[in-house]
Amino acid sequence: MFLVVILVAVLNSGSSSSPPTINTIATIAYSETTSDSTWDKLKGALLNALVFVVVVTAVTFLLVLLFYFRCTHFLKLYMGFSSFIVLLFLGGEIALFLIRKFSVPIDCFTFLVLLFNFAAVGVFAVFLSKMAIIVTQGYLVAIGMLVAYWFTLLPEWTTWVLLVALALYDLAAVLLPVGPLRLLVELAISRDEDIPALVYEARPVINHDQGSGEYEGQRRAWRRRRELGNDSESDHNIGTSDAEVTAPLIQNRVSSVVDGQESSVASTDNSFLEGIGLGSSGAIKLGLGDFIFYSVLVGRAAMYDFMTVYACYLAIIAGLGVTLMLLALYQQALPALPVSIAFGVLFYFLTRLLLEEFVVQCSLNLVMF
Amino acid sequence: MTVAAGIGYALLALGPSLALFVTVISKKPFLILTVLSSTLLWLVSLIVLSGFWRPFLPLNSAASWPFAVLIITSVAFQEGLRLLFWKVYKRLEDMLDAFADRVSKPRLYPTDKMLIALAGGLGHGAAHAVFFCLSVLTPAFGPATFFADQCPKLPFFLVSSIIALAFATIHTFSMVIAFNGYSDGNKLDQLFVPVVHLVTGMVVRTCCWSYYCNF
Repeated sequence: MFLVVILVAVLNSGSSSSPPTINTIATIAYSETTSDSTWDKLKGALLNALVFVVVVTAVTFLLVLLFYFRCTHFLKLYMGFSSFIVLLFLGGEIALFLIRKFSVPIDCFTFLVLLFNFAAVGVFAVFLSKMAIIVTQGYLVAIGMLVAYWFTLLPEWTTWVLLVALALYDLAAVLLPVGPLRLLVELAISRDEDIPALVYEARPVINHDQGSGEYEGQRRAWRRRRELGNDSESDHNIGTSDAEVTAPLIQNRVSSVVDGQESSVASTDNSFLEGIGLGSSGAIKLGLGDFIFYSVLVGRAAMYDFMTVYACYLAIIAGLGVTLMLLALYQQALPALPVSIAFGVLFYFLTRLLLEEFVVQCSLNLVMF
Repeated sequence: MTVAAGIGYALLALGPSLALFVTVISKKPFLILTVLSSTLLWLVSLIVLSGFWRPFLPLNSAASWPFAVLIITSVAFQEGLRLLFWKVYKRLEDMLDAFADRVSKPRLYPTDKMLIALAGGLGHGAAHAVFFCLSVLTPAFGPATFFADQCPKLPFFLVSSIIALAFATIHTFSMVIAFNGYSDGNKLDQLFVPVVHLVTGMVVRTCCWSYYCNF
């Protein structure tokens, strides 16, 4: 999240008035221009978000179907291909922006070779878990950052409405019995397989069991694919470049470890404290899509001012904490997006409307408390 | 005044807090959570206050009394919040003690309680520094600087960093004093904290700037 903020700050401070308009599926219904009235913008944004959610639902159901027919190998290949494309093209685009901004002297061939190697190593790091965890984590962060940065290039109202719509969709998809994500999780549990996924494993400092990555039935957080038609203004013509959107599931692995290892089974107190890390013995796995959308929120907040960034950062962490507590309480798959996004959006608008004026006035007059 | 100066101001305001954080708090995850939740609580209180005062802004900067009212209400609200924090902490302490008994580990030591209070205070102090100093520091990364009316010789950013440093220290340790006061029932300690808070808030605005700034 921090890296996205830096990226946005660096690249937007030098940009001119009109941002490049991207034609993606997200803006297919309506291209927002700054001269439209508020009501038009709102309608357009809602339409965009609706189209997006519909596409995401369709693709998720497709994923469930594929998983049901045991095409796991195909899914893995597809995910590898997709992350390669993300790292190569989106990463290349951002690198080009940075090179142009900082006037880095680098020639075309070196750049291409470096980029290709970066992307190739990235694919391996993400899908073969034999690498050092720091490399894998680094690449996951890079992928998340790239996708999040591209999302922030969408027009403003569309971004906010999209975030809210996705949070609601996530809530529906995980908790409703007919939701695709719930189906996927149940399929995975019933077959005791792992879902092909991009997950971020947050290893706590005190790590008792080193083999925590190899546990069966571990990988519950996962992601799904979405086609993102991307005709950007630059030269290279990409037909469809895929970007990952994860279905934000968060499952607390620690509770399963606790149940397996200790005969005195976790009371709610125990799992509560385990969940918040007092007796840490495992890793919490979080889907990459969650991080992407948090980063989109924070990146969009950074486009306004740094105060909104701090407020939204705190709000998202608070939301994450609440989600983890609920997870310890309910002990089932929970959507990680809604709470954090709700807090984040709420705090963003409150800060922008109320807090900023207040703090600036107070600081200028040296009134502090 | 360039990125270096900007980072300098930020570190000036947050340096001791960061040092405290790294040495004391980062060792125990529970304290990190306490810091985060107290920061959030302070932010929420600030938002509520700004929501309340929004219709009255911008205040006339010549007259002092609107600011006095502002400070009094804000300090009162925040001290009330500190009391609330204390009540929540008591309940949490009971829960933790019960858990410790069940797992037959020792109960919370007084140092542990003070550490939790310290973490809470650090959260408040860091939140103050971040929201009053760091968030207005963004223009400081550019090539120029800004001088406020009260103090025409020192750059505004330097002034606000120093004040933020002072307030961060005050917040951090007043939480420890307040918690000790509440738990021992010591009225003097309990009153000391809000009084200090109020006096500092009032004084910062008015006094002595002309003396310190004319050099």
